[in-house]
Amino acid sequence: MRSEPYSAADRLLPGSATALPLGLAVVALVLIPLVDLIRTTITTTGGSVLDALDGEAIANSLWTAAVAATLATAIGVATARIMTRRGSRAWHVMVLLPLLVPPFVSALAWSRAFGRGGLMDDLVGWTLPGLIGPVGIVVVLAVHAAPLVYLVVGSALRTRARPELEWAARASGADAGQALRRVTLPLLAPAIAGGGLLAFVVSLNSFGIPAVLGVPAGFPTITTRIFGDLARSADPAAFHRVLLLSTVLMALVLVAVAVATATMRRVAGGASSASREPLPVVGGGRPPILMSGYLVATTVLPLAALVLTGLTRAAGLDPWPANWTLANFAEAWQGDAWGAVVRTVVLAATAATVATVLGLLLALARRGGTGIGLAVAAAFAVPGSALAVAVLLAYGPWLRDTVVIILIAYLAKFWALAHRAIAGSCGVVDRDSIRAARASGATGAVTLRRVVLPMLRPALAAAWVLVFLFGLHELTMSSLLYGPGTATLAVVTLEVQQLGDVTVTAALAVLLTVPGIGAAVMMGRQRGTT
Amino acid sequence: MSRRLLAVFLAAGVLSACGGDGGAGTLVLYTTVTQNTVDTVVAAFEADNPGVAVEVFRAPTGEVNARIAADLREGDIQADVLWLTDPLSMQQWEARGVLRVAAPDATAVPAEYRQDRFWGTRVLNLVVVRHRDGPAVASWDDLVSAAATGGVVLPDPAFAGSAFAAVAYFAIADDYGFAYLEALHAAGAAVVAAPGDVITAVAEGQYAAGITLDVPAADAVADGSPIEIVWPSPGAIAIYSPIAVTSAAGAATDFVSFVLGIEGQTAIASTGWQPVHPGVPWEVGGPQVTLDWEQAFDRQQELLDAFRAIFGG
Repeated sequence: MRSEPYSAADRLLPGSATALPLGLAVVALVLIPLVDLIRTTITTTGGSVLDALDGEAIANSLWTAAVAATLATAIGVATARIMTRRGSRAWHVMVLLPLLVPPFVSALAWSRAFGRGGLMDDLVGWTLPGLIGPVGIVVVLAVHAAPLVYLVVGSALRTRARPELEWAARASGADAGQALRRVTLPLLAPAIAGGGLLAFVVSLNSFGIPAVLGVPAGFPTITTRIFGDLARSADPAAFHRVLLLSTVLMALVLVAVAVATATMRRVAGGASSASREPLPVVGGGRPPILMSGYLVATTVLPLAALVLTGLTRAAGLDPWPANWTLANFAEAWQGDAWGAVVRTVVLAATAATVATVLGLLLALARRGGTGIGLAVAAAFAVPGSALAVAVLLAYGPWLRDTVVIILIAYLAKFWALAHRAIAGSCGVVDRDSIRAARASGATGAVTLRRVVLPMLRPALAAAWVLVFLFGLHELTMSSLLYGPGTATLAVVTLEVQQLGDVTVTAALAVLLTVPGIGAAVMMGRQRGTT
Repeated sequence: MSRRLLAVFLAAGVLSACGGDGGAGTLVLYTTVTQNTVDTVVAAFEADNPGVAVEVFRAPTGEVNARIAADLREGDIQADVLWLTDPLSMQQWEARGVLRVAAPDATAVPAEYRQDRFWGTRVLNLVVVRHRDGPAVASWDDLVSAAATGGVVLPDPAFAGSAFAAVAYFAIADDYGFAYLEALHAAGAAVVAAPGDVITAVAEGQYAAGITLDVPAADAVADGSPIEIVWPSPGAIAIYSPIAVTSAAGAATDFVSFVLGIEGQTAIASTGWQPVHPGVPWEVGGPQVTLDWEQAFDRQQELLDAFRAIFGG
């Protein structure tokens, strides 16, 4: 028996209590920057639009994202099928591991594992051809996006694709392939399309991966061009290119999302609420050796290569204990690194806290919040590069070089993440408890504090942790917005990487990644035991 | 101005304790110079000038350029002093009118390491690094044969000003010219972004030799990288790391005088870089050649285009 879920009908707070802060926040965080970007692009670039348009970078971004999304969808669907049958909680965390590694750290790790002079080169003389270039970009993007597809398709598989139908098909004489093709895949089509779209958007927006694997190969994408042109933007033509590329990238993503959403709604007949169900723990069993191999090759080996590089005394030495040192980690602390760590943590924690509050407000203000919800979701889809340029245009004159401007960009970007995590769990709030509380004389505020929030606590915690992790790892926006004394740890790592010191870069990347993985493993363990 | 109000509201309400501007006695320095060199010099300056705090923005050349560009879009450069790695990067800001006329005590700076509005603080030498297992290299000319046998790698002149100096030197010098660069390319020479990338690539055995800066290469040798530094004949290409005043603040000129003076120069030398001040003892690693910077400034775009035509990209 399930009680009716919480809905806006049980309005707990007076409308103004949510509407005013929500309205202010959406105007300040989303509308002003994005409108400013579009307005400035139109007024400053004027007739020179076509001259400034960088076709090569746009084409590169589009095709790498499309191929990566296709690959990621295949991997994600396969993983989801395997995991629903014989996955365990530990494996679930393992499969999600790539999400816990900042994308540009993944790219670094891959080049340390499979690039020239990397671990596999040292061990067996093998390198991945084309790793520095489009091949590497596509593969690492796909590895990064696959867990997202897995999450979407996995939850749909558990709640929607009914095993009975598959069994019935098998019993009626269909072989496994036919059952998959005729029964399972059609049932999953909306989820697969949704997951694939997510993978496409995330890949199109990626900056860290092409920055590490594309730039050295002379392979530009929209995001790396924006970064590079901003460095040359004392030249007005370069600044116009930045504006134009940002607007084009934003438009591409929003159009892709709008078209795909409309198409999926038609296909799915509007029903998509099942994917909001939490993942049930599936017992026992071990995934096949192929999946272990995949995880080792794509995640464990690269991370191990990165750690080994960070431990090695100097470039060109074998990464074995005889050549190990902690000097790179010590050198990583030179200069502003400590300040950067403190700043990064404070920024991520502040962003997580504010975004969770905003996400909760939006989740509570369901009906009045639809327009705002759309704007917030759009801001999440807008690529970080474009969003950062927009925030810089809107608030730069007053807030440039402060952590506040970075915080504004984080909030605009991550509000939707927190909102989704909380809204997805509103189903657990049951109406009867609320009615009981109200009938016993509790005010709306008291009911919210005593009844609703305790039930939502796991969702609030999840939202907080999610935003905190994204904030810790964020590079795309902070690398465009930082100033004297406001660099984050990810930015410091990128700077060192650009100067070519591979061992210290690896040490910094390890420091940036380990806390996130540690936290996730601990959380996974905690959940596993309760 | 509702946006200003919002901005102020956000700034004051959300994170008022973070970020923050300095007080009256604050000097803002934008620099691309190695972290420990900046730290050492700034610490020595602050010890001598207790009333002045130096706020440092240190980043690679591209990010410092982005910062100054953003400053200029909104008005004036926010830095009081600009301290860069190579004269070319400084020259572009000179051309944009960012540098101020100033009269620091620069008497000790040799003529080949200065311009009207910027002065050399240290000398960087472009040398050859070779892998211990690779072919011997004794001169710049030997790089061509090394490229044919084990591969040679150059830093990108469009990315690093020091790399541009090497390209400009070869292009302008009578003994080399574009023919030398063409020969390198024909022998299979490759290009990576930064001088540091050259050291990594040679140390890992991807290439037999490369062109890079002496100090980071010496650091890698000291750490145990399997590379050697060669001071090729006729000499290492010596470039200078310039400093300039970019505001009217009196402390800015004081800081530049300090860096160019015996104390600042000693601090620079203590971090491994060759000082420009003849009064600071220093043993140069070998013969040095310098390039005609005036000509290099004037022909910058032409040289970069020519390099790109030869090496692609």
